[in-house]
Amino acid sequence: MSSASALAIEPRVEEKLPATESKPPLINEDWLAVCIGLFVFVLSLGLVFGADLLGWTITASVWTSPAKALGPTSKAYANLSPVFSLIGTYVFLLAVLSAGAKALRANLPRFAKGFTAVFAVSYACWILGNWAYIAATPDKRQALKIGWSLSLTNESGFIIALLAGLVVGNFSTRACEAIKEAIRPELYIKTAIVILGGFLGIAALEQRQLATSVMFLGGCAIVVAYLIFWPIVYFVARRYFGFSREWAAPLASGISICGVSAAIATGTAIKARPVVPIMVSSLVVIFAVVELMALPFAAQHFLYHQPLVAGAWMGLAVKTDGAAVASGAIADALIRAKALAATGIAYQAGWIMGVSTTVKVFIDVMIGVWAFVLAWVWSAKIERREGEKVRAGQIWERFPKFILGYVATFVLVLALGLAFPGLVTKIKAAMGQANVFRAIFFVMTFFAIGTLSNFRKLWQEGIAKLAAVYVLCLFGYIIWVGLLISWLFFHGVLPPVVKG
Amino acid sequence: MSEPRLTEELEKMKGEYEPLLPIERKLIWFTFGAGVVLLAALVLISRAFI
Repeated sequence: MSSASALAIEPRVEEKLPATESKPPLINEDWLAVCIGLFVFVLSLGLVFGADLLGWTITASVWTSPAKALGPTSKAYANLSPVFSLIGTYVFLLAVLSAGAKALRANLPRFAKGFTAVFAVSYACWILGNWAYIAATPDKRQALKIGWSLSLTNESGFIIALLAGLVVGNFSTRACEAIKEAIRPELYIKTAIVILGGFLGIAALEQRQLATSVMFLGGCAIVVAYLIFWPIVYFVARRYFGFSREWAAPLASGISICGVSAAIATGTAIKARPVVPIMVSSLVVIFAVVELMALPFAAQHFLYHQPLVAGAWMGLAVKTDGAAVASGAIADALIRAKALAATGIAYQAGWIMGVSTTVKVFIDVMIGVWAFVLAWVWSAKIERREGEKVRAGQIWERFPKFILGYVATFVLVLALGLAFPGLVTKIKAAMGQANVFRAIFFVMTFFAIGTLSNFRKLWQEGIAKLAAVYVLCLFGYIIWVGLLISWLFFHGVLPPVVKG
Repeated sequence: MSEPRLTEELEKMKGEYEPLLPIERKLIWFTFGAGVVLLAALVLISRAFI
C-alpha cells in the first residue's frame, strides 16, 4: 500500500483523488457528512414531536457485569434485547453509509465487509472502555461496588480503539487492505461534528453568554494562531532545513494550521505537485496520533483548574479534525474527572470538547482564506504567471462544506429552544439520542486513524528530514505557543458547574 | 503511475537550494508581526469586554 493511499485525504481536492471506479463521485465526503449528520439529527428530532424514532439504538454504560454493558437508548424500548438493539444499530449504519459509499463510487461489497469489521472492532473497544475498572471515576466506585479503577472515563474506549487501529495498521497489512474501503476517518469525524452541532446548541441554549464568549475567543485565537504559527514554521523549513518553496509551504500549513486539509489546500494554492501535500499529510496523521495520546493527559495533569484553556489548546495544537475533536473529547472526560477528584467541582460535560470543536471549526473556515492569500502571493509575487488571476471563488471551493451542517444543527437547536422554551427538555433528550451516533462515529474515527498510521511504511519512505522539521516546530514551538494563546484568551473562563 | 520517493525528492533538494527571496522574507515577517500585534490587541479587547 502506498503512503498516499494510506491517507485520510480531504475531499476538497477532488481533482487529485482517484475514484475507486472510473465515474466521478456523485458527492464529496464533506457533503455526504452533512447529509448523514442531518439525517440522524432530523430522526432524533422526532422525539420533540412525539415520535421516538431512534430510541431503539444501542448505548453502552459503565459496567461491572458484561450482561449490563449494553441497552437501548430510550426507556420506551426497555424491553428490546440489547443484542437486537446492537444489530439494529449496525444494520442502520450499514444501510446509511452504504448509500453514501455508493454515492462516493466506492466498491460497495468491499465497503460493506470493511465497515462490518470497523464497526465490530470499534464498538467492542467502546464496550471495553466502559468497563468499570477502566472507566469509573472515584465518585462512582461505591455505587458500582469496586475498590479501584483507572478513572479514565468511558472515553477511554477511544484510546483503546486507537490502539487497536495501530495494531492493525502496523502489524497486519492484509487485514488493513481488506478493510481499507471503510477506513474513512474524515467522513466519520465530519458526520460526528455535524451531529455535535445540535449537542453544542443545547449547551449554548443553557449558557448563552458563555457560548458567545467562547465563539468570540475561539475566533480571536485562530486569527492570531494562523499568523504566528505559519511564518515561523515556513522560515525554519526554508532557512534551516533547506526545503524548497514547493515543500516548505504545504509543510508549514500542515504543521501549523490544520494538518491534512491545510497541506492539500496550500499545495493546490501554490501549484505544488500532488505528491508534496500527500507526503506531508502522511506525517500529519502520524503526529496527530502522538499528540492524541499525550496532550489530553498532559492537559488533565496541568490544566484541570482551567478546563477551557485545555479545550482551546487541543483545538490549536492537535492537527486533523478527527484527532483534535477527539482530543477535546478525551480531555473533557479526563479533566472533569480530575477536577471532581481534586477540587470537588463537577463541571458540565461537553464544554471542553465544545471549545476544541469551535476552535477547529474556525481553523477549517480560515483554510480557504489562507489558501487564497497564498495563491495570490505565489502567483503575483513569487512565481509570477502572466495573465493568471486568482479567483475569489477559490475561497468557497476550499471551504469545508461539512461546517455548514455543523452550523445548521447548532442554529436549529438554538432557534427551536429560543422560540419554544417549553420544548427544551424534549430537544435535550433528542440530542441525547443523536449523541449516541456521535459517539459511534467518534470511536470509528479513532480506529480508522490508528489503522492509517503506518509508522514502518513512513520510515521506509525516508521521512526523517520531514519528521525533524515537524518535531522541532510542533513540539518546540506550536504546542507551547498554542498553549500560550489558549491561556491568554481562555484563562478565567470556566465551564458551568453541575447543579445539585 | 509511479510515485516519486521522498528520499529522492530530498536528495534533489540538496542540489537545488532555493534562497529565500525578499518577498518571502516580507511575507514571513509581515505575517508574524501582524500576528503579534493582533494578539496584543485582541487579548486587550477580550479582557476588557468579556
